[in-house]
Amino acid sequence: MKSALDQRNRAAPVLTRWIARRPVVAFVVVFAVFPFVVPYKALATQVLIYGLFALGFNLLYGYTGLLSFGHAAYWGLGAYGTGIALAKLKVGSLWLALGAGLGLAVLGGAVIGFFCLRRRGIYFAMLTLAFAQLLYFVGFHLADWTGGDDGLRGIDVPPLRLPGITIPLDTSLAFYYFAFGLVALAVAALKRILDSPFGAVLQAIRENSGRAAACGYDIGRVKHLSFVFSALFAGLAGALDALRLNVVPIESLYWTTSGQVVIMTLLGGAGTFFGPFVGAATFLVLEDRLAIFTESWPLVIGAIFMAFVLFLPKGIWGTLLARFGA
Amino acid sequence: MHRRTFLATTASGVAVAAFPAVLRAQGADTIKIGFPGPLTGPFGALAKDQQQGAIVAMEEINAKGGVLGKKLEILFRDDQLKPAVGAQRTKELIENEQCEFVVGGLAAHVQMAINEQTKKAKKLFISVSQSDEISAKPDLGPLTFHEALNPTITGRAVGSWVAENLGRKWWIIYADYAWGKQNHAVFGEVLKKHGGTLLGSTPYPLGSAEFSAHLPKIVAAKPEVLITVTPGADNIAFLKQAISFGLKKEMKIAQPLHWLPQLKEGGPDLYADIYASTNFFWELEDTIPEAKNYVGLYRKKFNTPAGDYGAYAYSAIHEVARGVTLAKTVNSDAVAAALIANPVYNHYKGKQWWRACDHKAFQDLWIVKGRERSKMKGEWDLVEIVKRIPGNQELDRTCAEKGFA
Repeated sequence: MKSALDQRNRAAPVLTRWIARRPVVAFVVVFAVFPFVVPYKALATQVLIYGLFALGFNLLYGYTGLLSFGHAAYWGLGAYGTGIALAKLKVGSLWLALGAGLGLAVLGGAVIGFFCLRRRGIYFAMLTLAFAQLLYFVGFHLADWTGGDDGLRGIDVPPLRLPGITIPLDTSLAFYYFAFGLVALAVAALKRILDSPFGAVLQAIRENSGRAAACGYDIGRVKHLSFVFSALFAGLAGALDALRLNVVPIESLYWTTSGQVVIMTLLGGAGTFFGPFVGAATFLVLEDRLAIFTESWPLVIGAIFMAFVLFLPKGIWGTLLARFGA
Repeated sequence: MHRRTFLATTASGVAVAAFPAVLRAQGADTIKIGFPGPLTGPFGALAKDQQQGAIVAMEEINAKGGVLGKKLEILFRDDQLKPAVGAQRTKELIENEQCEFVVGGLAAHVQMAINEQTKKAKKLFISVSQSDEISAKPDLGPLTFHEALNPTITGRAVGSWVAENLGRKWWIIYADYAWGKQNHAVFGEVLKKHGGTLLGSTPYPLGSAEFSAHLPKIVAAKPEVLITVTPGADNIAFLKQAISFGLKKEMKIAQPLHWLPQLKEGGPDLYADIYASTNFFWELEDTIPEAKNYVGLYRKKFNTPAGDYGAYAYSAIHEVARGVTLAKTVNSDAVAAALIANPVYNHYKGKQWWRACDHKAFQDLWIVKGRERSKMKGEWDLVEIVKRIPGNQELDRTCAEKGFA
């Protein structure tokens, strides 16, 4: 009896530590079976895509210590880039369309980052917000290209063409594994970035930017690069969402989208590798299930969020890591 | 976090996730219809009327034994008036709940996001709120149907009636977004056709609460009629300010639509003598037998008179049932083909019909005028019917104009 309890006591920390040490493997294992764990496959895809969005945001906020309130901009640019390529320019290639979204998001990240990084703290946050809102109004008024407030419709997803094989993406499960492949690549890339000397400098900047500068690092350039990488991940997530919904709503660029990614990241645990995915999964699954039973679901999620910020500020995954010493 | 808390949280999470599987096991003998709508948010009252209209239709049909021996079951979902949520909810309804049909969507941008999902899943979708695009290329799919009126029809109907009866010197104030701009364009065209003069137009940002800066300019221009295209809460805010500025005494006011829940909220002091169109008003029960049936059932169930948008939902649920009965299957392709092959129906206000090219429902509408408080016979006696406008395909764009050769 006692030993069984002990064993159970040990299982959680061992699992937590195992996952924390092999994040890419853990990601692949968990998300390979994820569509069969949640109520339906489209929800699994949504978690995957928002998890990637939060992952990108977390690179900038959790690892570099820069709080952006305008990540809707890169999500939206990725979504509109891919959506416009397919719906308006009638690009027949999935890769070209994704490239258009990624290109637009990276360009946006480079330009907006260049200006915003000239200020720090609240001024930085407000500048990112202002740029995102600016893009929202541009999107609203460029209705011939974006569909304006009616949203961009008519995004037909071309089949996935790989050397020697063509796979149609019209079922929920096929699309999930397509997104899963791309998100896994992004997760591996992020791991590589964080493990590189560049990744170490990011965290040095977060802890003490003056000291990092004194060590001889060009912290302006490093921050800018981190900003662009973050925009790239957010843009990929946005592009995938355009393919997932076959529409790009104008709200993609609205500040509420930026707010949502902040909440997901904090809920899961900022500055941890898996926090963003845990946060996105918790938020979206709760929203999906609660909204069926009550119209006041935001009240429940809001209360949970506040409880975490007040009592467990490290978030769900961050708390587990701290508790089990991984 | 303590281990026990963690376990409890995980367990409850798993329970929540597994719950739909338990629910699903019960519903094998029903025909499921998914119904997304903005139950929360600024259009909540309209969405509730639609929900109630749909429930009345469902219970009426089920009381008579259902369809093909099966009961109808409607699953309502809150789309929060957001296209992304509407799209996700539609996926959930089709994928997780195995809904055979989708009815719903309030506001053009949400219904078009829903439409993209039903097109992909090859399910029949009947849209029940205004949109010009949904029944035109490229949005219309082979299984998309549009039960509601649209800005072109209401704009042409109200515009022509106003030009013929109230005056031909107009000013238009409109919310600067898709619906507002569409209405502005339609009213402008109608006025031109009647040889009238548009003295000026004022676009304003949607959701604005402050109109005082625009009012002196409008009064100074001395229009005979002011057309207001101010949806939702804007409508009430605008009329309050316009009335206190004395506009009602200087000119007639007309707008594309009156909605019963909004008339009730604003009250007769705001809406008296303001002209608009509507697809339905419950007092039609005095003259139309189908209206008497619908309003009676609705009042019995919910103890209030039926609204206008709820009637769309009532009719759309009946159309799903009629289509399934005709096709003798729940297959969406067969149901759509059956409806187009038998296009004429009458559920709540007289004859309606589907046009084959664009799956648009043509139907009567009414020009109504807000009642003065002194003439009201009850708290819901909010408008008087001025004129019936018979259903007419000429009021909408032609098939060719919508992209169907």
